[in-house]
Amino acid sequence: MKRAEPISMEFHATPEEVMLAVGALQKFARANGVEDNELFGLALALEECASNIVNHALRHDSKLTFQMSFEVTATAVTIELRDRGPEFDPTAHRVSKSDVTEMAEAPGGWGILLVRRYMDEICYRREAEENVLRLTKQLGGLSRKHDFVD
Amino acid sequence: MPLEIQIQKEISPGKTGTITVKLTGSLDTATAPELERQLGPAVSGAVTDVVFDLAQLKFISSAGLRVFSNARKQLKERGGQASFIHMQPQIQEVFEIMKALPGVAIFKDVSELDRYLAARQRAHREGNAQS
Repeated sequence: MKRAEPISMEFHATPEEVMLAVGALQKFARANGVEDNELFGLALALEECASNIVNHALRHDSKLTFQMSFEVTATAVTIELRDRGPEFDPTAHRVSKSDVTEMAEAPGGWGILLVRRYMDEICYRREAEENVLRLTKQLGGLSRKHDFVD
Repeated sequence: MPLEIQIQKEISPGKTGTITVKLTGSLDTATAPELERQLGPAVSGAVTDVVFDLAQLKFISSAGLRVFSNARKQLKERGGQASFIHMQPQIQEVFEIMKALPGVAIFKDVSELDRYLAARQRAHREGNAQS
């Protein structure tokens, strides 16, 4: 697999730009040797997390922006998202199997459940008035495949 | 990737009140509102059953699942149902992860769906005859 320099991009807080970000990730990952069967989960995780930023942190204010960076190594893809919205830690939500319907009503709801299923690590931190969310997906069968459900 | 939406009313005997919604492309945060807008009038009135044909749906996120869930709730209130056919594996996996659409029916193809609908209508007729 090729190794690539990390890239960073900035997007406005709209659903259409979320999907531009997803398209950029797919193109970048494919160009760097990530298999198609891994791409779906990566795209889904990015769509969900970036949508949370647009819907909850930046509240559809299209003048505001979020930043995304990707890195592909021989063993993993890492996506980092940054925004300057109010503090929101999606990793704080734990999901029980009986709460799936209830989750639909929570901020981020079902999306967070899907992200937890498709990614191997999700790390949140608040840094210099920014939400920083780092998603990591192990490649080539290295995935822990935890479903993150209690 | 855009979303193409085709809504067809079933006119064959035994399927009145059923519409088929064929989705092609990506059902995501950008395209889900358009599906919701088009489904609004389609699932009102005399329609009781909606069949979503997902053969050409390549991507779905929770925004799309939410549209399905809302349609299912509306139909259920009128004794109807949302059904899904021809799911691609990655779409089916998302449904399975969520287990989030209780009460939806998933079929591998139209003939399996037809058998199910025929049985439902038969049960409905028999129920009416007894009351």
